Amino acid sequence: MTSWVRLTLPAALAASISSPSYAVQYLTIDAAKKLAFPSASRFVENGGLTWKAQAGDRLLGLFVVDHVIGKHLYIDYAVALDTSGRVMRVDILQYRESYGGEVREPGWLAQFVGKTSSSPLKVGSDIRNISGATLSSLHITEGVKRILATYGSHSR
Amino acid sequence: MSCYRRCVLLPTRPSADLALPAGARRAAPHSTAILAALTATALGAGLAQAQDAGQERDKPAPPASGQAALLKKLEQMEQRVRLLESRLKEKDAGELARAHAQAAVAAPPPADARPARDQPAKGQKDAEKKDAKQSNDRKEAGGAAKPDWAVLATRDITGKTAPTNPPNSIIGLTSSPVTGLSIGAYGEMMFGAMQNPAAGGQWQNGADIRRMVLLPTYAITDNIIFNAEIEWEHGGGAFDPDDKLHGEIDIEQLWIDFKIMDQFNWRAPGIDLIPIGYINEHHEPTAFYSVLRPELYNGLIPSTWMAPATSIYGRIAEGLYYTIQASSSLEDFGSDFSLRTDANTVPPFPTGYAPGIDGHNGLGFARPPIGDFRQLNNDIAVAGELSYSPPALPGFNGSVSAYFTPNTTPRGAYADNGTPLGRSSLTMFDAEFRYRLPNTGFEARGEYVLVDFGNPANLRANNDSDPTNNVGKTMYGYSGELAYHLPLGNILSSDWELVPFYRYTFQNAQTGGFAGTDLNMPTGAGQTQFHNVGIAVFPSPQLVLKATWQKVINRDPAGANSDSVLGGVGFFF
Repeated sequence: MTSWVRLTLPAALAASISSPSYAVQYLTIDAAKKLAFPSASRFVENGGLTWKAQAGDRLLGLFVVDHVIGKHLYIDYAVALDTSGRVMRVDILQYRESYGGEVREPGWLAQFVGKTSSSPLKVGSDIRNISGATLSSLHITEGVKRILATYGSHSR
Repeated sequence: MSCYRRCVLLPTRPSADLALPAGARRAAPHSTAILAALTATALGAGLAQAQDAGQERDKPAPPASGQAALLKKLEQMEQRVRLLESRLKEKDAGELARAHAQAAVAAPPPADARPARDQPAKGQKDAEKKDAKQSNDRKEAGGAAKPDWAVLATRDITGKTAPTNPPNSIIGLTSSPVTGLSIGAYGEMMFGAMQNPAAGGQWQNGADIRRMVLLPTYAITDNIIFNAEIEWEHGGGAFDPDDKLHGEIDIEQLWIDFKIMDQFNWRAPGIDLIPIGYINEHHEPTAFYSVLRPELYNGLIPSTWMAPATSIYGRIAEGLYYTIQASSSLEDFGSDFSLRTDANTVPPFPTGYAPGIDGHNGLGFARPPIGDFRQLNNDIAVAGELSYSPPALPGFNGSVSAYFTPNTTPRGAYADNGTPLGRSSLTMFDAEFRYRLPNTGFEARGEYVLVDFGNPANLRANNDSDPTNNVGKTMYGYSGELAYHLPLGNILSSDWELVPFYRYTFQNAQTGGFAGTDLNMPTGAGQTQFHNVGIAVFPSPQLVLKATWQKVINRDPAGANSDSVLGGVGFFF
């Protein structure tokens, strides 16, 4: 009965040797900026933890860093908005909790792409819930909604 | 006299000197001539000096005397500063012009606003106010206006900080006084009417403050997390007759996580949950819809199943997570704690003792003790879980898990006829899923549990003179649940949700394959069906109000006599 254990363990170790990704601090702010705006030549501070991404003098979008509580510990994340106030990308920068890390899955974060300040952004309706990460998924969704309310377009 | 310093200051001198003779002439006549002579000399000297100074300026800088060099440097610095200032002004003016051009292209302002922008600095604030008003007017006009930061590039929105979640991390009520510390809580209260099987199935009203749990979490560093669960069950414990408390206070979890990398993290030895199934690890009242916990987690999986344990866990691929754990083994001893001897054995023959594993309660009495080195065997169990949220099927979450212990038999175990009982291994397998159909309120859950006993002849239940509680070679159970999430809208400043559900569970704790010294006469109470129908109302995702009707049917001729109609209140901060 322990044969499957013997198979899983080496696989896990092999996977960890091949592509280590260090826990907790997954992306620095600078790395996240580059992922969100690869063609940006500079990021101009815009107050709070927001930066305007510019290619020379052309404005590409806004990069916002925020944090929310998962279950008990903070999650640092970044939201990139384009110049019409739509979400281009959401990245998790730091995830400290022991449970609920499924919010880092790219498939889940991809749901936010294209959202605007008029999107419902409600877990269970336009954003899928994650069973084992209910609070993390709810709080991140609320965080993105707040960011859109502050920095998104003001369309009716 | 050296004229270096004074040369610079001299230009004022001749005029001052010229003023002197006029004043001097008012003095006594005989001194006028002297004064005039003196003045003339001074004048001449001054003129000569002025000439010298002029010549000095035309000449190249004289070689270094300390003061000369310093002076020269000061002058050069001044010129450079003036140059930089003018460049900066040009640059700002240029940017301003470009930004205006951009803004003009993006959203042409009304004509009367334009001149305001060209005003010098002190007029800018008024201009900005006008801009704000105009942009608001545009919004109200109903067009899709661009976000502020993209339109008005010169607008200063410093001070508008990124929104942050108010960290109500002390029982969801107030902020933590210590960075990295948070204290969560969960609890559930239930009340209603239940059939009491010990009273022949009589319906009795009652209530139970089922549990109250505090969850202190502290991030010692970003990578080292401390976590604990402190629980009060049934109101806690007391011994005075007027307190009427017969619950427990226990440490349900206590561990420290070392978060190393995505694929590999270590949970140091502590008290931890066994990673079997979903509800054992996620047992807060907001995680399930019935008042009582799902039935498979009462007997087959002895929730809340925690043990002294250490584990490694991580993420293998997208959506795929693993846990591998070593823990203190289950023990086949279900008597009162005080009956285990100081030698950590079962009470000596012929006292007898209750089984930890039996055909009515499943493994409900088999959890190992977590305190004081009182475990009754040396055996270490191993468990593993793989949980999967396939990217190709959004909304689907599932897990498979397994548990194996080489032996559940405690030290000194015996049958009631005195025969010693030998080793018996135990293997458990669980597969479950939860599927929420995307963009709908529809949810389905399903689960299957199988327990296999290595040597049923060595289980106490088959050797304790009780013919009705015997155990076969296996125990198994399965359940299926359907639920629907119905938004109720915004009430009391929160979005409410109603979840009606139905769950069916079948459990067989007495299969064939019996072996042992007992007579084997099971009543049929070991095969049980549960029907649960109810609603769960979520005023917020952290609160739940429940009502459930449960019907229990088993093969016992006397009937299960365990129906109930219960209400519950649960919370999880």
